[in-house]
Amino acid sequence: MRLRGKKVLLLGSGGLTIGQAGEFDYSGAQAIKALKEMGAEVILINPNIAAVQTDPGFADQVYFWPVTPEFVERILIEKKPDAIVGGFGGQTALNCLIQLEEQGILARHGVENWGTPVATLQLTEDRELFASKMREIGVPVPPSGSAQTVDGALTIAGRIGYPVIARAAYALGGLGSGFAHGPEQLTAIVTQALAFSPQVLIEKSLRGWKELEYEVMRDAFGNAITICNMENFDPLGIHTGDSIVVAPSQTLSDEEYQQLRDASLRIVNSLGVIGECNVQWAHSPDGLEMYVIEVNARLSRSSALASKATGYPIAFIAAQVVSGLSLLEIRNPMTGTTCALFEPAMDYLVMKIPRWDLTKFVGAHRGLGSAMKSVGEVMAIGRSLPEALQKGMRMVTENAWGLLGSNAFAEYDEQRLEAALEEPTDQRIFAVIEALRRGWEVSRIHSLTRIDSWFLARIQEISEMEALLRKKGLNLDADTLRRAKCLGFSDAQIAASLSSDRWDEHKVRAMRLKSGIRPVAKRIDTTAAEYASPSNYFYLTYGADHPEEMGDEKPAKHNATVLVLGGGTYRIGTSVEFDWCAVSAARELRDLGIRSVIINCNPETVSTDFNTSDRLYFEELSLERILDIRDEEMGPDVSEISVMTAMGGQQPNRLALPLERAGLQLLGHSGRTIEMAENRSLFAQALDEMGVAQPLWTEARSESEISQFVEKCGFPLLVRPSFVLSGAAMNVAFDAEALAHYLRAARAASPDHPVVLSRFHRGMREVEVDAVCSQGKIIACVVSEHIENAGVHSGDATVRIPPSGIGTGARARVLEVSRQIAQKIGLNGPANFQFLVSEQGKSAQVLVIECNARAARSFPFSSKTVGQNLARLATRVVAAPESMSLQGGELRAPDGRFAVKAAMFSFARLPGADPVLGVEMASTGEVGCFGRDEAEALRLAFEASGLKRPRKGILISAGREEQKMAFLPVLGVLRSWKEQGMKIYATPGTAQFLLTQGLSDVETAAWEEGQGAQTWREVLRKKQVDLVINIPKNFRRKELSLGREIRRTAIAQGQTLITNEEKAVAFLGAWGADFLTKMKE
Amino acid sequence: MRWGEGTWANRTSISSFSGELVFTTGMVGYTETLTDPSYAGQIIIFSYPLIGNYGVPVASREGFPNVGFESRKIQAAGAIVGWASPDHSHWSAQTGLMEWMDAQGVGLLGGVDTRALIQWMRERRRRERASVLGLVQNADLEKPLTHFRDPGEEIIWPQVSVQQAQYLAASDPHAPTVALIDCGVKWNIIRQLQARGVALWILPWDTDFAEWFKVHPEVQGLLLSNGPGDPERAGPLIRNIRGFLREGRALQFPILGICLGHQILSLAAGARTERMDYGHRSHNQPVFQVDHGQIASTRGWLTSQNHGYGVLESSLESGWSVWFKNANDHSVEGVRHDEQPWRSVQFHPEAAGGPRDTAWILEEFIRDVKGFTRGGRP
Repeated sequence: MRLRGKKVLLLGSGGLTIGQAGEFDYSGAQAIKALKEMGAEVILINPNIAAVQTDPGFADQVYFWPVTPEFVERILIEKKPDAIVGGFGGQTALNCLIQLEEQGILARHGVENWGTPVATLQLTEDRELFASKMREIGVPVPPSGSAQTVDGALTIAGRIGYPVIARAAYALGGLGSGFAHGPEQLTAIVTQALAFSPQVLIEKSLRGWKELEYEVMRDAFGNAITICNMENFDPLGIHTGDSIVVAPSQTLSDEEYQQLRDASLRIVNSLGVIGECNVQWAHSPDGLEMYVIEVNARLSRSSALASKATGYPIAFIAAQVVSGLSLLEIRNPMTGTTCALFEPAMDYLVMKIPRWDLTKFVGAHRGLGSAMKSVGEVMAIGRSLPEALQKGMRMVTENAWGLLGSNAFAEYDEQRLEAALEEPTDQRIFAVIEALRRGWEVSRIHSLTRIDSWFLARIQEISEMEALLRKKGLNLDADTLRRAKCLGFSDAQIAASLSSDRWDEHKVRAMRLKSGIRPVAKRIDTTAAEYASPSNYFYLTYGADHPEEMGDEKPAKHNATVLVLGGGTYRIGTSVEFDWCAVSAARELRDLGIRSVIINCNPETVSTDFNTSDRLYFEELSLERILDIRDEEMGPDVSEISVMTAMGGQQPNRLALPLERAGLQLLGHSGRTIEMAENRSLFAQALDEMGVAQPLWTEARSESEISQFVEKCGFPLLVRPSFVLSGAAMNVAFDAEALAHYLRAARAASPDHPVVLSRFHRGMREVEVDAVCSQGKIIACVVSEHIENAGVHSGDATVRIPPSGIGTGARARVLEVSRQIAQKIGLNGPANFQFLVSEQGKSAQVLVIECNARAARSFPFSSKTVGQNLARLATRVVAAPESMSLQGGELRAPDGRFAVKAAMFSFARLPGADPVLGVEMASTGEVGCFGRDEAEALRLAFEASGLKRPRKGILISAGREEQKMAFLPVLGVLRSWKEQGMKIYATPGTAQFLLTQGLSDVETAAWEEGQGAQTWREVLRKKQVDLVINIPKNFRRKELSLGREIRRTAIAQGQTLITNEEKAVAFLGAWGADFLTKMKE
Repeated sequence: MRWGEGTWANRTSISSFSGELVFTTGMVGYTETLTDPSYAGQIIIFSYPLIGNYGVPVASREGFPNVGFESRKIQAAGAIVGWASPDHSHWSAQTGLMEWMDAQGVGLLGGVDTRALIQWMRERRRRERASVLGLVQNADLEKPLTHFRDPGEEIIWPQVSVQQAQYLAASDPHAPTVALIDCGVKWNIIRQLQARGVALWILPWDTDFAEWFKVHPEVQGLLLSNGPGDPERAGPLIRNIRGFLREGRALQFPILGICLGHQILSLAAGARTERMDYGHRSHNQPVFQVDHGQIASTRGWLTSQNHGYGVLESSLESGWSVWFKNANDHSVEGVRHDEQPWRSVQFHPEAAGGPRDTAWILEEFIRDVKGFTRGGRP
């Protein structure tokens, strides 16, 4: 308890974006645990309402505020902490820390910086300073130069010679970076980079080189260790966040490994890093030449991966180290006996596979390069590379076929396939397997992809086995089956490869079990079995035949075991909020004395922390694997196993029915209930039976049914497949052509389940209810309301509690209908309902959109607003109903608390994608903030989500007439901003409207040149505005393409963009006249 | 117990071999490990499952003679791995692991659950307080092996030591000379010393150093090398060093022992060694410095280690102190004399494979060597 009496402020990372995701929830949560164990009082600033670390029970106090110097200073004044810790909140926290130091705020308030000194951070962030420091200590850096202008960049490139790579300074995840083969390309990249960064670095391109990372920890006494090294499967040139990564390195000799290790240690020692540091290297494939690429002196995505890969709790130890402990004094919690000053040994390998959702973004380019595009990742563990790779590809692709599942390249001719191999994209690995299927030599594929031949030879083994299975057909023998399993084939993949209808997943499994072919569980212990370890961290493998002895864990009080399924990879629609749910469930089970076993495969999570559950399987969320784990867990001490599928989002939810059919008991909703809720057709029928109103609908079975329905309702129509999360393949069709297109997509997304077509209502409010049910009865629920009208996906919407936009009548009706549905389909556990509401006078029309028989994205927001953890409550209800009262109803926010949740978007990272909100989700994260009134909550939430208050000017393009009218209530804000010297620009129609409404001096921004006024393009490029409001008139493709250029330009220029009228009005309204008057006083 | 029937069961053409079972958790450096004479007579179980990925390097690369090798041949009695790579990919590779082992006539067994085997062996060693011997054989062989070889029972050093003294000149004719008693020295010790500009005499393991020293007055330091075997069986070596320590007191003559050399120096100084429960078999052993029985500082180092015997702290004679301890189990990792420049370490400051963080120990030794003048204290 050496920190007793110390008060520490920890900086969080805010909402999730591409390049800064759940890994910082994991690192922050561990830091809080470590600091508290040492006796410190921990204050956290982080507006990420869905994160585990912002839960009660972690930090002593949480500020849901934007992580900016202004807000941090308020805390410094209010709470007077002794120290500030900035290494656990990603680039956001680091940038904030640097600004706090530069503005003299830390010194002014006498607060100590724990961790790497700010001067070092500045040095690692300034690429030129960094390069000269490296040269000073004899570490080679790629030939380079930095420039502040496009011309300067071109001169440097001329000196180094093309191809070159351009990178923006002070940017996370390689934002504004790219390769240039000539001046034209370079001009384009540098122009974009200089839009938000003052400096750009041009360096020699090392395409085709090996890329390696070393995770280093150093304490204040100069002890430094490399915890893990990692090798990119893809050669240098693809951002490491977008690369398949393997740990430990596979193709380095001891000489090379140690040379990079030595140099990594030399770097952190010379920089005086305290805590964690990531060092990225380029290594020649033809010799000992190496260059350091960059250094991140903080916890990172890679350190989270290294932590899960080795079992060494990096963030936990790093927090002890920054508080002043020596690594020698710290024990390794995985063994309990050995010292933290050591480097983990692995007796397995891990592969990280990135998850891209590029198809979710209309128009987004699929090429990969030096700017990161992935939204999540999985980690797969195996004792051979094919095993780990195949596992990983299944984990990340959401279907059973994994690496073998894409036929995208089957039709390609030789030339096109060669091109697909040469060009790195999110699909390239499938092109590799296609080439191998065609019998292309490894050397040929290597010369196209520059992927190391050793990796390609491993994929070739997989491809050869696939071919062998195809030949076997019905005559599958046990030996071949065993070898296929060792190469990572799933039962379903084997069945499919056998190319005979007589096989299916279940038959393969039956044959496998009959032949005694089972995976064995192996422990991850950080020491590769050199010492005995009580670690509870496991994986399954076919690359071994002796199961681990499990005897040395602490026995649970009950003999019941609950498998809690996590959410798998983060992706659009499944993010840290479902990790929060799974962690809540495991913690509640622990409190109830029930043994919890978490199954998850996402290294960026708290649920996969070694001390979250009683046992952790870092494994696939698949029917096959969960049944394997059930078999593994069944034993003399465990007589009863059940599984919770409702806490991890849609991926585990889809497994509920198959698991129940396979004889595993579901804890919570029955399979029948889940089916009733998820099957759009059954659910709609049930509503009809109950006489509950819903939008007109039909199950889109035949063409004639569809055309009849179109005749009855007209357009627009909503197309929805079943059992999908975040509106995948959900679309609004405005005409027959679009309808046909979307129907095809929906059927492809969920081929085994019905597609439903329903009337799309515009102009209605959208209301959600998060609920906990017991045997058909709602025992707790929270009502929230979208700021945007219906039509914006609930994951992208701005949400408020209390639902101030609907009357008491509507609210009562919403609750009543929820209760009816709960009873009708027998909900038992967490659930979420979504409604359309319109009110005229006192009469309210309430239409049901859907019901999810599982925890929902909004659970953490609802829970933290009302002060009651719905996921924990739902767990208790299903696991120990006898222990609690099953009475209750609507939970409300405490008086005087207003909550707003706002979505975070990452459009800046997705060139080509149209940043417009629709029924398919596009946000990557969210923030939630509280205020004493709604306006305050809105202001905080918008600022925390990156919608900054404009200072220079606004460009408005307000859409249709009625959309323009929506702005009437906030004209006062525009007026007072204008009085303060802000410029207001508007496109011609909107300008006319604003002038008519009495707003003088609105400048017109012409659509095209030659129309008198300056064009919107010039307004944006000259940075005359810092806020762009662009409301599309409708979602027809033609209309979208008109505004798209404005939206993309605004994003590229780093300007705040709002594309929805209700959101724009709320944004402006939050800065309402009375608030502004107060500010002036 | 039967092992090696897994799906990846593959083996070299030599399919039967016997020796003491030991393991290493190092994830790289299999050529260094297999050629390390300390493993003579031992079967190495590799805990990392994929071995052979980068092949076996060419013997002599320009400017880097024999990098990747620690002696002229594979010293281990055999290897047991999870999966031996059938192909390799590396710019320095000349051949594959399996081909190399075949050519050298050393057996490898693949397809083994090496983690389980190591756990079983580790616990058995502790329980029985004895080495665990292994016998790998081809079940199809008509006449199976029956003899379990135990290198711990052997006087093994003649097999790994030079037979005659060899002189390795330095490029600088005025460079100091160091004598190295070869009990199975790793080439990287020689490389590291040469890189620091000294000339070397490599001496057979049983050299009577006190006598030899009389006729080689130019020698300014002694290095006792690593090597295989039970140190207590190295009688002549221990006696020779004991004799020299007795005679050399007046000289302030620098001595450095590494691994087995550390045990020999300790035994010569009157201490005892014992078989350890587990031993240290990895590239990640943390050690810290001890000063008068206290932790000397908050500094620690990572070291490469491979030993099953250790020096007993309680048996140290007066005048000697513990220099390093292991941060995991607090076993003795180094000793030093309180007045003489006599030091030794249980770990490998020369690394290969493993971390090079303690190379400064070699630096300090060379500094002592360079500062040595006949006639004792200046």
